[in-house]
Amino acid sequence: MKLELGNFYVKDITFGEKTSYSNGLLTINKEEALNVVKEDEHITVADLFIVKPGDNVRLVPVKEAIEPRARAEGGPVFPGVTGDLMQSGNGRTLALKDCSVLVVGKHWGGFQDGLIDMSGEGAKYTYYSQLKNIVLVADTDEEFEKREQQKKNKALRWAGMRLAEYIGSCVKDLEPEEIETFELEPITKRSDSINNLPSVVLVLQPQSQMEELGYNDLIYGWDSNRMLPTFMHPNEVLDGAIISGSFMPCSSKWATYDFQNFPMIKRLYEEHGKTLNFLGIIMSNLNVALDQKERAALLVAQMAKSLGADSAIVAEEGYGNPDADFIACIVALEDAGVKTIGLTNECTGRDGASQPLVTLDSKADAIVSCGDVSQLIELPPMETVLGELESLGRDGFAGGWAGDEILGPSVREDGSIIMENNSMFCGDQIVGWSTKTVKEF
Amino acid sequence: MKKAILYINQFFGQIGGEEKADFPPEIREGLVGPAMELQKRLEGDVEITHTIICGDNYIGSNTDKAIETILGFLEDKEFDIFFAGPAFRAGRYGSACGHIGKAVKDKFNVPVISSMNEENPGVEMFHKDLYIFKGGASAAAMRKDIRGMSDFAKKILNGEEFLSADEEGYYGRGIRRQVWLKTPVAAADRVIDMLLKKIQGEPFQTELPIPEKDMVPIAKPIKDLSKAKIAIVTSGGIVPVDNPDRIQSASATRWGKYNVANMDRLESGVFKTIHAGFDPAAANADPNVIVPLDAMRAYEKEGKIGKVHDYFYSTVGTGTTQGEAARMGREIVADLKEKNVDGVILVST
Amino acid sequence: MVKEIEKAGIPIVQMANLVPVAKTVGSNKIVPTISIPYPLGDPSTSKDEQWKLRYHRVGVALEALTTDVKEQTVFKVKI
Repeated sequence: MKLELGNFYVKDITFGEKTSYSNGLLTINKEEALNVVKEDEHITVADLFIVKPGDNVRLVPVKEAIEPRARAEGGPVFPGVTGDLMQSGNGRTLALKDCSVLVVGKHWGGFQDGLIDMSGEGAKYTYYSQLKNIVLVADTDEEFEKREQQKKNKALRWAGMRLAEYIGSCVKDLEPEEIETFELEPITKRSDSINNLPSVVLVLQPQSQMEELGYNDLIYGWDSNRMLPTFMHPNEVLDGAIISGSFMPCSSKWATYDFQNFPMIKRLYEEHGKTLNFLGIIMSNLNVALDQKERAALLVAQMAKSLGADSAIVAEEGYGNPDADFIACIVALEDAGVKTIGLTNECTGRDGASQPLVTLDSKADAIVSCGDVSQLIELPPMETVLGELESLGRDGFAGGWAGDEILGPSVREDGSIIMENNSMFCGDQIVGWSTKTVKEF
Repeated sequence: MKKAILYINQFFGQIGGEEKADFPPEIREGLVGPAMELQKRLEGDVEITHTIICGDNYIGSNTDKAIETILGFLEDKEFDIFFAGPAFRAGRYGSACGHIGKAVKDKFNVPVISSMNEENPGVEMFHKDLYIFKGGASAAAMRKDIRGMSDFAKKILNGEEFLSADEEGYYGRGIRRQVWLKTPVAAADRVIDMLLKKIQGEPFQTELPIPEKDMVPIAKPIKDLSKAKIAIVTSGGIVPVDNPDRIQSASATRWGKYNVANMDRLESGVFKTIHAGFDPAAANADPNVIVPLDAMRAYEKEGKIGKVHDYFYSTVGTGTTQGEAARMGREIVADLKEKNVDGVILVST
Repeated sequence: MVKEIEKAGIPIVQMANLVPVAKTVGSNKIVPTISIPYPLGDPSTSKDEQWKLRYHRVGVALEALTTDVKEQTVFKVKI
């Protein structure tokens, strides 16, 4: 399987006559773009904004981030979600780099939504403050979940994907500025020089805990709650086979943009053929019941063993209950003789003294920790808020609150805020970007 | 000028050796023994106003009294920071520094700094309560150990940012916090580095050391269940629909107890769950799936158990700190004891 | 919370789906439940089945309170 990512490096974004890309300048016809957004009649109000690093702007409630892309040979960017099913990870996909489409609720947020500051102290808490962003701020008529803490955010997330496809389509007939090639030989057809290197599988545990459909990450449009671990090619993940869900507290979330750019996968590609033999991805999941967790761990270990993996990396999109899946999977792999590294974040509580993962096992002796969801963050007001600042305190954000005996409300009258890292948009960057760790004090 | 007070034992207080270990607490103005070296190191930033001296055996056999006396000494003193030791490998001295240090910190809420050798039992007992610097085995390390304590004291008092326990040189207090790596290395790079080392059998450093399990003694079993009063406790967030105690749906700091004396089961629409960590549909439709009052009543009618306690207790488990959970646990225990509850079924979600 | 209650000398049994979590936090007596959102009754089964399961497992938990154990124990359930 060979994927060519044809990159266009966006240096600036502006609204204009024709949606087009030229020499680093991305121009968007706002009306046309909004028409694409409004193709879904559930979208009641929508507007577009451009925000750049350094802007005095706060975004909340942020629901999703997507990289604008197009398939050179045609077809949906997200097979099984925005169009028919087709094999992803093969052929050429064109990508507008250094920018993302951010989806922000005009009013209503929830447990799973996050916050982004484009400048100031808050900017360091999220990856998206360094990108040029096309921000869709919209509302919907999904009355059934307006006041629910857990929201599917379906209309908004799908609008974001349509918008990303629409914007991406402007480079469809252009020659990319750079081509990144991702190719792995079939496992049984590799050269001796590669076969003699230690082999590794990447085990991903995307968010799939909600038994009701509509909240979980989708794999080729299929709800990941309804699957057993399966083997995937890394190119499929990089090329739109997975979209992010709408459930996990936000700093632990892997946005669709994160899947499209998955730094851990790219890093393994760099090592492939040099120090490691990258076998591929075991796509596992996160579950609510113990037998489901055990079943998934059994299958992951079996697959790793059958593939002849010497080592594995396990990454979880979540904390709390998912830690049990994470640790179970690491233990099963270690028991099968597969040397395993864990990639996660922690929840140490407001006092920092609580057990960092809900399950622990001495076999999980090699963990890279990307952040602590319970860290308190206090930030000054920002000039502009896109979305609705009150949502952070009002709507049951994982890291926000209406009132607290000691800390007061999350959102203060002057527009300054206090929150847990928990609600920083994809803040812990467990996909591999994080330069944070957790240390003992 | 900031002010400090130092605690030392009879030996370093120049009272005497073992024969004077019963020396009762005394506070002196100014500098005694190690206080001089400490003052030299703190020069310009901090003034050590008093030295407290106490015999190791005295505090060992009269711990509460010694603490009370010393806290009494401090009541009318002004100080911004408190030191104890260094205690090197002296076990009784280390334990004394820990007891006094913890009491001072709890009462006056000032930073407390000590220093002990890793083999000093005081480390195991008090490393979660105070900053205990990694110290030498004997008084030969005095200057070095005092330097560690004083450098950190200056950092605290000047409001400088501290590094992690390992980097500063004290025993970790069990408090984990996120930090940005000074030289940024992406998590993906750290994974590859650790993976290659693990594969090659080279030493590597996990970023999340697994702590040892902390077990409590198993309570004596109930002898006669048919006379026992049993209570249900849950972390599943079952509350009356209006959530009268405003228990938070995550990171809870509150709990509630709800009277079920006249109920055979928990009815939907009367009780619900406010837990944010799972799909609430099933528990809202039938709260007995989390608080099994109906089954408990059946056993009560059969005479298998004496009585179902008139109240059940509820909070939310997700994201709650162990400290908060322990506090709520203690509050619930107090109530259980007062009501003579003999056993507890805790249903977690 | 379990530990605080046990520390006070009150026998306690934890009914939990995530047995590894209960073990990690130091519960001494554990009775498994069927899931996190509905520990004692699967809504996709009949009311009668849910009742039987709940009655059985609560019974196991009550027995556990009377059982003298020397170490962390997970009690077996039949349904």
